[in-house]
Amino acid sequence: MKIYEDLRSAQARLDGLQNGLLALVALLLLQFWLLQGVNSKRYRELAENNKIRTLSIAAPRGMLTDRNGRILAENKPAFKIVVTIGPSGSIDKISKTLAPLLKVDEAEIFHKLSRPRAAYQPVTVKAKATFEDVAAVESRRVEIPEVSVEVVPVRSYPQARSASHVVGRVGEVTDRQLKQPAFADFEPGRVVGQSGLEALYNDDLTGADGLRRMVVNSRGIEIELSEDQPARAGGAVELTLSADLQTAMEAAFKDRAGSAVALDPMTGEILGLVSSPGFDPNNFTSGIERSVWDSLTRDPKTPLLNRAIQGQYAPGSLFKVVVAAAGLEEGLITPESTTFCPGRASIYGHVFKCNKPAGHGYVSLGRAIGESCNVYFYQLGARLEIGRLAAYARKFGLGSVSAVDLPNEASGLIPDPAWKERLFKTPWYQGETISVSIGQGQVLATPLQMARMMAAIANGGRLVQPHIVRLVAGRPVVYEPPRSLGFKPSTVAAIRRGLFMAVNSGGSAGLARIVGLDVAGKTGSAQVVSSAKLTKGIESIQPHAWFSGFAPLENPRMVIAVLVDNGGSGGAAAAPVARAIFEKFFGVGVKVSPLKQVSP
Amino acid sequence: MLRRFFQGLDYPLLGLTLLVSGLGVAMIASATQDTRLEGLWMGQLWAIGIGVVLLLIVAATDYHRLSDRAPLLLGITLIVLVATLLVGPRIAGTKRWLSLGPVQFQPSEFAKIIGALVIAKLFSEMKKDSLGLGDLLAPASVTAVLALTIAAAPDLGTAVSLLPMFFVGAFLAGLRYKSILVLSGFLLVVGLVSWEFFLRDYQKARIYSFLDPDLDPRGSGYQKKQSQIAVGSGGLTGKGYGLGSQTQLGYLPARQTDFIFSVLAEEFGFVGVVATLGLYLALLWRCLDIARLARDRLGAILVACLTATLTFQVVYNVGMVAGLLPVKGLPLPLMSAGRSSVLATFISIGLILSVRIRRFAN
Repeated sequence: MKIYEDLRSAQARLDGLQNGLLALVALLLLQFWLLQGVNSKRYRELAENNKIRTLSIAAPRGMLTDRNGRILAENKPAFKIVVTIGPSGSIDKISKTLAPLLKVDEAEIFHKLSRPRAAYQPVTVKAKATFEDVAAVESRRVEIPEVSVEVVPVRSYPQARSASHVVGRVGEVTDRQLKQPAFADFEPGRVVGQSGLEALYNDDLTGADGLRRMVVNSRGIEIELSEDQPARAGGAVELTLSADLQTAMEAAFKDRAGSAVALDPMTGEILGLVSSPGFDPNNFTSGIERSVWDSLTRDPKTPLLNRAIQGQYAPGSLFKVVVAAAGLEEGLITPESTTFCPGRASIYGHVFKCNKPAGHGYVSLGRAIGESCNVYFYQLGARLEIGRLAAYARKFGLGSVSAVDLPNEASGLIPDPAWKERLFKTPWYQGETISVSIGQGQVLATPLQMARMMAAIANGGRLVQPHIVRLVAGRPVVYEPPRSLGFKPSTVAAIRRGLFMAVNSGGSAGLARIVGLDVAGKTGSAQVVSSAKLTKGIESIQPHAWFSGFAPLENPRMVIAVLVDNGGSGGAAAAPVARAIFEKFFGVGVKVSPLKQVSP
Repeated sequence: MLRRFFQGLDYPLLGLTLLVSGLGVAMIASATQDTRLEGLWMGQLWAIGIGVVLLLIVAATDYHRLSDRAPLLLGITLIVLVATLLVGPRIAGTKRWLSLGPVQFQPSEFAKIIGALVIAKLFSEMKKDSLGLGDLLAPASVTAVLALTIAAAPDLGTAVSLLPMFFVGAFLAGLRYKSILVLSGFLLVVGLVSWEFFLRDYQKARIYSFLDPDLDPRGSGYQKKQSQIAVGSGGLTGKGYGLGSQTQLGYLPARQTDFIFSVLAEEFGFVGVVATLGLYLALLWRCLDIARLARDRLGAILVACLTATLTFQVVYNVGMVAGLLPVKGLPLPLMSAGRSSVLATFISIGLILSVRIRRFAN
């Protein structure tokens, strides 16, 4: 046996191996430093995401009810199919099994499930699931345990098209809305109010979503609840509207386009507000179909427009109420003073026709309103001049928004020299004053403004704040109390007499007469802008037909304004609609309960 | 005789071995608490006890006597490995285990020791200071036969861990640097060819997902990703013993075996990692010191070969835990739960001690 071997070269090489070992360990430590020192914050977050599963609990949206508790908007349970998949779940197998069950494209499911997400984060594969879908999924529970059915609240409108403009509609929050501070707390995909009261009271109706955070282990089994924040349901909104009256008003329009507003003349409560045609807000609740949307936006009758507050029309003869009040208040006329009407009047070198070519003869204010004598008001308007006319019109709330609690109200227009100078840089012509004095020319008003004006006559000279919401989350909404216009009682009384004559003494509004009910009111015809005739070459385009009035004459309970788009004469087209509404309201079968007293 | 034995034992090495093993037991206890494997640390403790006995027996045995019987031992090993392939139970798609009565063991763990003995014997018998590529033929063939038999299980990790042993043996025996260069080039080609023709799809998938864990976050990449999260979220000082969320909530795969070091990194942080890797470095450094003290080429090469395998396993396992290397079923010596791994490691250290005890010529 050899006793001695030369190991020197091997020993030298062992030094090299030891150095190599040192280098390897140093390399490992460097990597651990990167993980645990430099990037540990990121990994701590990942570890936290791993163990915490967050589920959001949808807050049910507040209900909308009418003044009698009839439901206008509520939530119905809808089903959605969700897949909760762990790290080992086969996306491929689940997509293959689910696709034929739900009749959804397999690639679509696969795509949804393959998007990056935290493990065990539920993914919605079908939002609007039918009962068949639910049954199909439930019967295969054992085979595909990852799939489950979730019940979510979806907006539902039991009255469908009725009061659609008041109630409004909901829809997913739009990209534009998301940029506004009011929607800062909303996430994409969230359903929010998009029009009507749904939009205006969105914050109150929305409530607050709840949250559940659970610690889960690697198999998705919940170990403990780490945070439980229940959802806070949205507040209910109760309207002043009567669903029964609303339905009757809508029925009175049949399929004609137009608008009607019914107010309580004492309080300004809106009892009914129609814009015809309407739309079915149920079509919007879980994403509207393209074709339905197109048919709504392309319809020449503009069903999405709320005519009652957004439609601006020349008030026509309804404006004579304003002129009469101005003349009486300014002492230019008395109820008894008369004007001679030969069927025309020549003022400022122009000839203006009366509505009755043969002439009314000597007319006092009562007959002038009742038979809608233009000449009487031409003369009065000329004496008042535009400044006082405009001032009285504004007193009645015309030319500015009424601040009703509905979104996007139009202001209407009361023209005057300053306005004309500002807009057209041309002076005011005296002849324009004559047009204004019978509510034509540039004068524009909404049906709601007309109802409000008429309410001031009905209630003895007070301007009310129109409103449609009584209670939000059980608390009364406070509105401005009716404001006195400071008119002499005789002024209001004289106009009321004229309005009563118009309906009951063979006046222009005779078709609104109801036996056994003292109806007062006035018709009007809003000439459609003459340039439209010229450009379109349509000779037969009809003026918009107006009626506004109240009943009963003493202690009136309801004032209405009716407008029938291109209805022709107010007496023929609008008065019968008003009559039908009055009959429903004061007849049997329509219930408008007196207000429960709610202390603010 | 007995006095000389106990005087010759290397107590720092023995102490480091027991210290790291004890740390392993503690981490296993943490990794398995409140699971159906709770109490596994007791089994590990038993294995360590038996390991210590085997270590002493092997240390007392002259490594020359073992080396003389190397051809016989190699034959037996090959037979056992083939038998494992033929009659062993299929566990998780592989045939790595053999039942001996009530106990199962993994023959490939022990095959590595026999491999070291054979390789050391072959290299030490080359009586020259400078080796060429031709001299590698015999040891290379033995390594290849062993590696291929193990790889057939399939157990690529263990098979690959034979390679560092072979290279370190050749290196110490005096392989010329020029030959090392040529050999490296050759192996690169072999690697590329086996990638093309021999690697199974799941093996390729592991390598792909290693390169980009987000490619398949729920498949092969899952283990790597979860391990990195565990390590990284441990931070500087860790989450505390028994309090690692990745470990305790079961996100960490194979946490009591291949990923035991992740548990340590999560619960004791960078401080714990530095301390533990320091212990391993000291242990392996000490082994190489012993190789330098060996009285003959056989002793030096044997110790270096065994240390090479241990080093490879430690570096690979820790590198894998840190996300530096693809996930392979390679345990961390001394710390991972597993009877075969513990016993094989203790036997290896016993052999190293045997060389140290006999470092003086007479």
